[in-house]
Amino acid sequence: MKINISFNSEWNDEFLQKMENDGPWGNWELYKLAVQMEENLIIPDFEGLQAPKHLPQLTPLPHQLEAAKQVVEKMNGKAILADEVGLGKTIEAGLILKEYMIRGLVKKVLILVPASLVTQWAFELNTKFHIPAVVQRKSYVWDSCDVVISSIDTAKRAPHRDIIFTQEYDFIIIDEAHKLKNNKTKNYEFVQNLKKKFCLLLTATPIQNKVEEIFHLVSLLKPGHLGNASLFSEKYKGKGRNIIEDEHLKELVNTVMIRNRRADTGIEWTKRHVETITIEFSPTEQALYDAVSKFKPISDGSKGSAFSALTLQREACSSREAVFYTLKNMRDKYDQPSPDFLAKLDDLFTKVNETVQNSKAEKALELIKKIDDKVIIFTEYRATQLYLQWYLQQNGISSVPFRGGFKRGKKDWMRELFQKNIQVLIATEAGGEGINLQFCHHLINFDLPWNPMRLEQRIGRIHRLGQEEDVMIYNFATKNTVEEHILKLLYEKINLFEKVIGELDDILTKLDINNIEEYLIDVVGESKTEGEMKIKMDNFSSLIQFAQSMKEGEVHAATGNS
Amino acid sequence: MQQREIHDFLVTFFKANDCEILDNAPTHLTVQLTIEMDKELMNRPFYWHYLEKTGGVPNPAQITFITDPEQAPSDLKGEMIHFGSPRLHQIIQSTKKLAGYTRLFENTPPSKGRNNPLFPWLTLNVKISYQCDRKKDTFMSIGLNLISGEIMEGFHHRVLPINVTPKIPDYSFTLSPLIMPKSGLARLDTYIRTSFEDDDHSWAEEAMLRWQNDLNLLEHFYKDMDEKSESYYTEKEALKAQYEPNIRISIINGGLFYLSDRALG
Repeated sequence: MKINISFNSEWNDEFLQKMENDGPWGNWELYKLAVQMEENLIIPDFEGLQAPKHLPQLTPLPHQLEAAKQVVEKMNGKAILADEVGLGKTIEAGLILKEYMIRGLVKKVLILVPASLVTQWAFELNTKFHIPAVVQRKSYVWDSCDVVISSIDTAKRAPHRDIIFTQEYDFIIIDEAHKLKNNKTKNYEFVQNLKKKFCLLLTATPIQNKVEEIFHLVSLLKPGHLGNASLFSEKYKGKGRNIIEDEHLKELVNTVMIRNRRADTGIEWTKRHVETITIEFSPTEQALYDAVSKFKPISDGSKGSAFSALTLQREACSSREAVFYTLKNMRDKYDQPSPDFLAKLDDLFTKVNETVQNSKAEKALELIKKIDDKVIIFTEYRATQLYLQWYLQQNGISSVPFRGGFKRGKKDWMRELFQKNIQVLIATEAGGEGINLQFCHHLINFDLPWNPMRLEQRIGRIHRLGQEEDVMIYNFATKNTVEEHILKLLYEKINLFEKVIGELDDILTKLDINNIEEYLIDVVGESKTEGEMKIKMDNFSSLIQFAQSMKEGEVHAATGNS
Repeated sequence: MQQREIHDFLVTFFKANDCEILDNAPTHLTVQLTIEMDKELMNRPFYWHYLEKTGGVPNPAQITFITDPEQAPSDLKGEMIHFGSPRLHQIIQSTKKLAGYTRLFENTPPSKGRNNPLFPWLTLNVKISYQCDRKKDTFMSIGLNLISGEIMEGFHHRVLPINVTPKIPDYSFTLSPLIMPKSGLARLDTYIRTSFEDDDHSWAEEAMLRWQNDLNLLEHFYKDMDEKSESYYTEKEALKAQYEPNIRISIINGGLFYLSDRALG
């Protein structure tokens, strides 16, 4: 067969020029070096990965290397990377990109990720992979930089959109690609119109609800692979998520998708040990708690009032400072508060002032001293965070604060301080884009979030790949308070703390519960009696247990098939 | 490529570029750059522009490269250098740029008062890449005797042991080429192209199959559409870019060698 041959004649022209001018000629030593180095850079085989040789500081896990190899050798550089949460999809994507760059098949790269992950991607590609990725902040970056990271929301807007369409990209990566499951959106249309020579779509949840989602995702990558829209819907429509059991479809999808499950990776996860520590209020703390429990800022019995009473109760379980800030905000909210309201508030302020100790903080101090190692404390409230920092310092223990709102640089700095010099990190927000702290394995939940996902994210900061120790989790709960109810009725019942990262994510997605927190506020705040609350909570936790047992059944089926 | 080889490469590179090696330890290397090398490697045109305008005293940088991070003193400040580090690749690029063309003469000792004739050889070191959605390379070095027309493969490795010099040695003289350099280049080009003609090109046939397969899927996907959308044509272009087989010849370097008739054995 006839194959195109390309040859650049520039060298010839310049050589003839030099013949005419009698030089200048290159040094023999350098001439030999150039050949020697080029011979070293020659890649004599189509197969195999070059990237690991170029990345001596990176130790990819076997399933990550396997994924990279498969994408390059079997999937022709177009794939959906759909590993479960926490297995390192970014590492896989980095390896694949690096491989193509080393082989000289890829130069111009576009990476589209959620806005909150843009700097983290840039950081990882630069430090772990030596790929000079640049965050798009100025419009000239599109033209002048080879590897550009941007949020899809920026990229699809003018003037960026038009500039992007004039670029010749060799490689496109899209993170959190499940957001493209709907083919009617602007984002979908934008990605569909990109020229995708090599392309990776990253998602932990390739199918959330409907089988059409996988059709749309695959069609972005490889149009026609699952047939065309009318044919597909004729065949599979209305069959729900179970369709993935369809062998034929499964096989087709698996030729473009890699999905490693935690159970298949053979990675030994360290254990989680959970200890609940019950704390008893001192008399003054009890008095404050009782006072806020009776407090009805607006006495019309509306949902809002249940909400603020609950908030105050939860805060009273954390610190008087947290209560104080909320009360102060309440007072400042009104231009002309009624004298009655003010009197009630003043009464509460007095109670705040009379509170002389924080029993939880004392317990935390005692525990930190006993652990004598790095500890992370999570609290829901900034006021508590500030108080704890002050309190620990009074007792000779240094700590650093951490908040989701910190700039990337500050986050990294705090993390480094904590890793190198400081015993305690006090954090208010775990956040999906938070930091990784696997060098620490003690975590105190000073107060509990009501959304189990948030708790999962907290634990996920330390219980992840790279953690070598068993993880110790201490849950603080104050006796005879809402906090204890939540802990007993929800968390302990569903064994949440022992679960492996990501499992809960799946379960909640299946149950289609978007806002657990709202649901719980409703249960706790609106129940007339303790008994009613208990029944509602029981119902909720058995629902979760049911979903969980379904999931386990599925895992067995999956391993049975393979 | 081993760390030791990288270390030696750096030493040779900087010595060849007249940079003083301040410290050459087994674990690391400190180099005083010349002004030229600073401009070449340090990427600070504004500094040099400023100096030239103000007539200040140039202060070219020193760099420390750490080639064995495990054994190197822990307080040593420097750049970790390894096979994948961008700095190494920058220096390799620089090497290729500085030594793209050479002309050298065999340094023959005068024999019995006779003058030594030196034969002109035109040589090319090239990388040949087979490329589709995957890629592999081969290295090829060939030399053409510009008098006899003889073509020799593995030329570079045959010249390596020969003692060569940039100036024509005493008692040696060069024979004038019968083949002009321009047509010499054309002969080498033809030779290279013929060299891979009989190679196994199943890689290209397989790539064409993959391409055709994806094209069929694409046609099927859009078949209900009477007027094809823009994305159809974009996808088609993308498939071509992804799969189309291509053989790329790139010249690493080359030049003229004047060698005695005994030199290449």
